[in-house]
Amino acid sequence: MEFLNSILIKPFQDMVAAPDFLLQVLWEGLVAGVLYALIALGFVLIYKSSRIFNFAQGIMVVFAALTLVGLHEKGVPALLAVPLTLVVMFLLAVAIERVVLRPLVNQPDIILFMATIGITLFLVGFGELIFGGENKVMITEQLGIPTGSLTFEPFGGFVSIEQKDLTAVIGAVVLVAVLLVFLNKSKMGRAIRALGDDHQAALSVGISLSTIWILVWFIAGIIALATGIVWGARAGVSFALEVIAYKALPVLMLGGLESVLGAIIGGLAIGILEKLFEIYWGQPLMGGNTETWFAFVFALIVLLFRPQGLFGERIIERV
Amino acid sequence: MKRLMKTALLATTIAAGAAFAGAAYAQDSVLLPNLSYRTGPFAATGTPLMNGQRDYMTMLNERDGGANGVILNYQECETGYNTEKGVECYEKTKAEGAIVTQPWSTGITLQVLPKSNVDSMPILAPGYGFSAMQDGKVFKWAFNPPASYWDGASMILQNISDGNLDNLKGKKIALLHLDHPFGKEPIPLLETLAKKHGFTLLPIPVGLKEMQNQSAQWLQIRRERPDFVVMWGWGAMNAGAITEAVKTKYPMNQFVGIWWSGLDADLKLVGDAGKGYRTLSWSYPNNESKVMKDIKQLVVDAGKSMLNTSTGEFDWVFYQRGVLISAMLAEGVKEAQKHFNTKVVDREQLRWGLENLDFSEAKIKELGLDGMIPPFKTTCGNHTGHSGAWMLEWDGTKFVKASDVLQADRAEIDALVAEKAKEYADANQPWPMNDECKL
Repeated sequence: MEFLNSILIKPFQDMVAAPDFLLQVLWEGLVAGVLYALIALGFVLIYKSSRIFNFAQGIMVVFAALTLVGLHEKGVPALLAVPLTLVVMFLLAVAIERVVLRPLVNQPDIILFMATIGITLFLVGFGELIFGGENKVMITEQLGIPTGSLTFEPFGGFVSIEQKDLTAVIGAVVLVAVLLVFLNKSKMGRAIRALGDDHQAALSVGISLSTIWILVWFIAGIIALATGIVWGARAGVSFALEVIAYKALPVLMLGGLESVLGAIIGGLAIGILEKLFEIYWGQPLMGGNTETWFAFVFALIVLLFRPQGLFGERIIERV
Repeated sequence: MKRLMKTALLATTIAAGAAFAGAAYAQDSVLLPNLSYRTGPFAATGTPLMNGQRDYMTMLNERDGGANGVILNYQECETGYNTEKGVECYEKTKAEGAIVTQPWSTGITLQVLPKSNVDSMPILAPGYGFSAMQDGKVFKWAFNPPASYWDGASMILQNISDGNLDNLKGKKIALLHLDHPFGKEPIPLLETLAKKHGFTLLPIPVGLKEMQNQSAQWLQIRRERPDFVVMWGWGAMNAGAITEAVKTKYPMNQFVGIWWSGLDADLKLVGDAGKGYRTLSWSYPNNESKVMKDIKQLVVDAGKSMLNTSTGEFDWVFYQRGVLISAMLAEGVKEAQKHFNTKVVDREQLRWGLENLDFSEAKIKELGLDGMIPPFKTTCGNHTGHSGAWMLEWDGTKFVKASDVLQADRAEIDALVAEKAKEYADANQPWPMNDECKL
């Protein structure tokens, strides 16, 4: 009975007893969720247009952030370093298309997936050769990102919101909105979606595969830079940032690999739910650190009922 | 004729080159590999340590021609702090003729521990590894000088309790630790001490994927309001925790880390906001010591170092700790050379050297390591040596000494060492004991 009480009643009593703390938990979950959604978006865009599961998305986050900080260390003003980093990410997209993807057109998906592992290993080595392995400070203030905190006192308690987290959330929302408009309203965006829907049909109407691939890898690079700035501002820029890409995997399982909306909603859902579960069930009942597995278990449960994910396309194969 | 002379000249040059190379090749050397991690999520912590280790060996080779004329062949095998790769590196370097292994992770150490008995391979794990390795009668081949994690836990508690652990009665101490063998290592001792002295221990694990986003852990700290947070962090976890502590406004003077949670670069991320954060350390940087001056002149200024001079890495606690680690190994080699009256020592001889390290005040001075490490001495029965450690405090720009040398409570630790060493040996039968050791 006591056990059932600790699972079914006590967590909710705790939430009601300290509503300010609950708000803080929800905020932290929302911030994490937005960041997961950003990473997942990078995966989805590339998968949608080329059916490639981009294993290199994590290292692209590291590479973009290190390039930004590295350029600033070399004396480039912060606001100039951002466009220069984007130029580097564009060149990277061109190089990947020319050197890796183009020779592998029409190869099985697994070959292309393996190629992105190759890109990861190359970027790890290349990045360490140029920037070194040490932790670097993100140029948060130089980029004009506020670093203070806002404190509120709801319900007689307090909720603290870091201004850089707030900026991250607003920045991510703007980025996603621009991306959605681009994908739905622009000619290039429609071309990306057309390729996602049907490769052969898209090619037959004259859509250039190589141009679209460069474009989506470049967009993934922009998302990687945004993610790198946000995560780097929290705990520095180092190769450890690569690990956070793995957090996107359950988001993709949940939201579906092909759905932009799925990445956003999946990211937010996992961010908020894993935080609530960890604080109110994981820490009191299981010794904590449930965030390492909660998202995967949650995604698996969803997959039991919807194998294509929440927003993925239903796969119908006739035999 | 001209052509013949040219050919003769070329042949002579090749022959001379070959002879020179042969002579160089013939110079005695010992292979001292390091299972390094300059890549991956822990690279930020590893790189300065590896640089320090490498530069000390280079300096000895440059200045003294190695150890008594024997070149100290320092080589790195990259593990990325990954246990599987670490075991591969162990096997690879063993096949190449290594006389020691430096596993550089508690996980790798635990994996190679049983192999070391079979391979007769000394394991040198300074300041890390399994704390019970102190017991040289059980762990004949493993060494963790100058202090173990249990020493560290005991010293931290003594410091935060003002020297009397009974002062902690009724208090709550959170252990923020990496969810990894390294992070769990102090738990047995802390649990024992919590029971004995009446404080509450609250372990808070941090998963590898959560190192950079510890908001859940720090929300728990906000809810539980522990009197102290003790951190057992490594790599990116440290920077993540310190950033979250600042964000949560947790009092920095109640936040203490083990010696691997004191990387200068991590604290530079928060600068002044990290003022008051303390880390235990059995090493202290001293640029004025003879060794550091020699390294600067013969290695760094000569362009033979890999360290990043633009970040001030030379002054860092971790870089100079790497120097000390290599100094321990080099002294082990020299002790063995002297005792066995030989130049090129083998694994068994180095094992003897490592269990006869005597870093007395006089020896530390003689080596030019003044003020960098407290004295310690290993024996066949005690492979740790128990140097004690200083508490260092972040002043906003660098770590400064905040205490005299602290000493661990030996009675508590020795009892636990005996218990856990026996438990380990029983669980890994047949486990060879060092019955020759009578200490």
